[in-house]
Amino acid sequence: MDNFFEVKNVDFIIDGKTKVKNMSFSIEKEGDIVCLLGPSGIGKTTILRAIAGLQKIKNGHIKLKGKVLASDKINIEPENRNISLAFQENSLFPHYTVEKNILLGEEKNADKKDKQISFQEIVDILDISQILNQYPHQISAGEAQRASLARSLLSKPDLLLLDEPLSNVDQSHKEDIQEKLKKMLSKLKITTIIVTHDSYEAFYLGSKCGIILNNQLKQYDDPYNVYHLPNSIEVVNFLNRGILIPAKVTSPKSLENEELGTITGNFVKPFPLGADVKLLIQPEDLEHDDKSNLQLEVVDRKFRGTNFIYTLKTIKNLLIPVFVHSHHIHQHDVQEKFGIKRPIHIEHLVCF
Amino acid sequence: MKKINFWYLSSFLISFVVIIPIITVGISFFEETSNYYKILKDTFLIEYILNSLTLLVLVLIFTFVIGTGTAYLVSFFKFPFSDFFKWALILSFAVPPYIYAYSLTAFFDNYGIAYTILTNLFGEGEYNKIIPKVNGMFGATLSMTFSLFAYVFILSRASFLYQSQNLIDLGKNLGFSRFKSFFNIILPAARPAIVAGLSLVAMETLAEFGAVDFFSINTLTTGIYNSWIAFDDLAFANRIASLLLLFIFSLFIIENLSRKKAKYHFNIKGGFKQKEKIKLFGYKSLLTFIFCFFVFFMSFLFPLSQMLYWTIKFPENLLDLQIISLLLNTLYLALLSSLVLIIFSLISNYGNRVTNNKILNILSTLSISGYAIPGVILAVAFITFIAWFDNTIVKSLGFLSIKKVFIGSILGLVIVYFIRFYSLAFNGIKSGYEKINIAVDESAYLLGYSKRKTFTNIHIPFLRNSLLFIIILISLEIIRELPITLILRPFNFETFATTAYISASEDLLEAAAVPSLFLILIASIFIIIASKYILRENNG
Repeated sequence: MDNFFEVKNVDFIIDGKTKVKNMSFSIEKEGDIVCLLGPSGIGKTTILRAIAGLQKIKNGHIKLKGKVLASDKINIEPENRNISLAFQENSLFPHYTVEKNILLGEEKNADKKDKQISFQEIVDILDISQILNQYPHQISAGEAQRASLARSLLSKPDLLLLDEPLSNVDQSHKEDIQEKLKKMLSKLKITTIIVTHDSYEAFYLGSKCGIILNNQLKQYDDPYNVYHLPNSIEVVNFLNRGILIPAKVTSPKSLENEELGTITGNFVKPFPLGADVKLLIQPEDLEHDDKSNLQLEVVDRKFRGTNFIYTLKTIKNLLIPVFVHSHHIHQHDVQEKFGIKRPIHIEHLVCF
Repeated sequence: MKKINFWYLSSFLISFVVIIPIITVGISFFEETSNYYKILKDTFLIEYILNSLTLLVLVLIFTFVIGTGTAYLVSFFKFPFSDFFKWALILSFAVPPYIYAYSLTAFFDNYGIAYTILTNLFGEGEYNKIIPKVNGMFGATLSMTFSLFAYVFILSRASFLYQSQNLIDLGKNLGFSRFKSFFNIILPAARPAIVAGLSLVAMETLAEFGAVDFFSINTLTTGIYNSWIAFDDLAFANRIASLLLLFIFSLFIIENLSRKKAKYHFNIKGGFKQKEKIKLFGYKSLLTFIFCFFVFFMSFLFPLSQMLYWTIKFPENLLDLQIISLLLNTLYLALLSSLVLIIFSLISNYGNRVTNNKILNILSTLSISGYAIPGVILAVAFITFIAWFDNTIVKSLGFLSIKKVFIGSILGLVIVYFIRFYSLAFNGIKSGYEKINIAVDESAYLLGYSKRKTFTNIHIPFLRNSLLFIIILISLEIIRELPITLILRPFNFETFATTAYISASEDLLEAAAVPSLFLILIASIFIIIASKYILRENNG
């Protein structure tokens, strides 16, 4: 059976520069949410613009509901694609009030009976009732983004594209809106592609995540796998949630590090005995134990509300992050010693 | 077959039509001229150039002092009637330099108004000896200064207005006196606006025909007119025209080079603080008021009262003229031309926006240079082009001559106005468009709007106010315009401007007063309507 949406072997180009090469990914069923993650300027917005039809492609194809929207020969105009894109910048019509702007979205697919959602429902979810009578230049960037999102949702698109949808929304609103947005998209079964540089947002909203690095889609997988089973050193570095330490494979279920000792677990991909590898250590892989004989020096301590992330230095100057709940009684200051429980066991041994 | 892009094609054609006169003038430079050129080259050409240069330098100095001076005072200080002067000083636009010249002559002439006033006050006397003679270069300089300084006033005032209070506070923080702050911070920060205003003054000065002709000063512009009208030498007229064009373009290049990479705009997001005006007291307040009132009086009240006086004194002139017919002709030309300009400029602006094509961008940049080309040159270039087109193409194809359709017709007049004022319309709409984020267009497409529907339903309603303002601005220019109307108007078709000129050139200054008065009044009404947009204090 055909995928609901498909990008196959497409180069995404802007101003003559290839931003993303030979990209392929698909969304199997209607209503799925996909997040594309990558650093700024990597070409995420270019991908959305090409999918929306605002830019042409020269190779490969983009298909929606079995119909080719774009290829080297075909280019369906944006107004005929039934794809909605909520821009990162203010794209509201400047001479209409916010209310009129949002209602314009409703006009587009007025005859579409499925995906029923009322204007009021959207306004309440996005918390924009207080700005409805204002003009776009009178509202904040975050409010403009939410109004733009409301207009896109109300247009009942087959595919919704969101470009950094909550980048201007303040932290206090962000999580609440993320939660409501996810519920609404799933209730309406609106297939969505979200572009973001915020990995937490991507992991929360997406049923699949794509990581774009160095002009390529490096990994396209569910969020758990992207985080715990990254498929390349580049993805590890981009997510910046761990460190690679040198180790030697000593058995099918263990390896040895000079300073941390034996580390057991299940290899994600097999390596021959005696092979020198780089093992991924993530903050939650190591456990704190004051009584342990493996004591490392604290060089930094970050308080994150619910937890602390300690950065520990080994004798060979490896900097290892360790996660500890914030209610943990024994706090360690910088330059103090911090014990690590041994033997170390990591469920998935991710090695390169 | 590849679909022809309507927007690209129409924008291309519009821009191309507008640059035809520049090409024509350029090509004509290499054509054969009569003996008149050789005679003139050895005699008067240097005088033409020197006179044009002298006039330019004098007018630039005076408009700079008066324009930035008054703009600084009304922007930074509060004094009696300061809010009134904000818009009253713009009224000087209503008085074209040639009408100002008539007023000056009438006032300072032997046995003129000044003489009458002195006689009434002090009895009979030899006043003609003590009354200064305002004519020649001095008269032309005064006429143009008081008529054109508002360009510098408006643009520098707008720039002063948007200078952040932070910038001025910074000056205070560095221990600058008010004097030092003005010269070291306020003036340099407003430089692009002041230069833009002075560039407009420069173009208008070099293009001015009525006033210099009235004062019998031989400049490049009168040279062009005379070589065409008196010696029937189009090629020579074009050769002087190319010289003048070269001159104008050099000014632009010098200005651009002198600016180098300096940036003058500030990101006011978050850092902009509205200025608090300083309240003046005592003699400072009085002197400031006197200065502004003097400029207002000289630039507007003086010529207005002069024309009013004559109209009342010689009411028969009012009855002789067919005022209604002149009014209708003037308004008809102004409104028809501005509508045509608005429609075509909108199309070409939108074409540029949606196609984002490099060739089109270059072509539109060239096409807006029409404003820099004096009306006399445009009119002559238009006639040259039509004559060439008629002789070489139309006749060779066996068709009837098209000269009458374009020369001495409303159509020809509207076309040349179109070329001359295209930059006003194009740039006005462009600055309106710059406020519409491109994402707005794209959102419209994604909501199912076609390009045409986006244009009619999103852009035009948004640009409505700007369009109205541009219509007023162009109408104002056309009401005041003289040489194009004079050269290309149909037989027996007169406007207030041409009637005033014809009467003045026949030494019937009193008869010129009535059309001049009406011209000033209509232009003032347009200015008062437009001032709402010109003087906006907050860009909301």
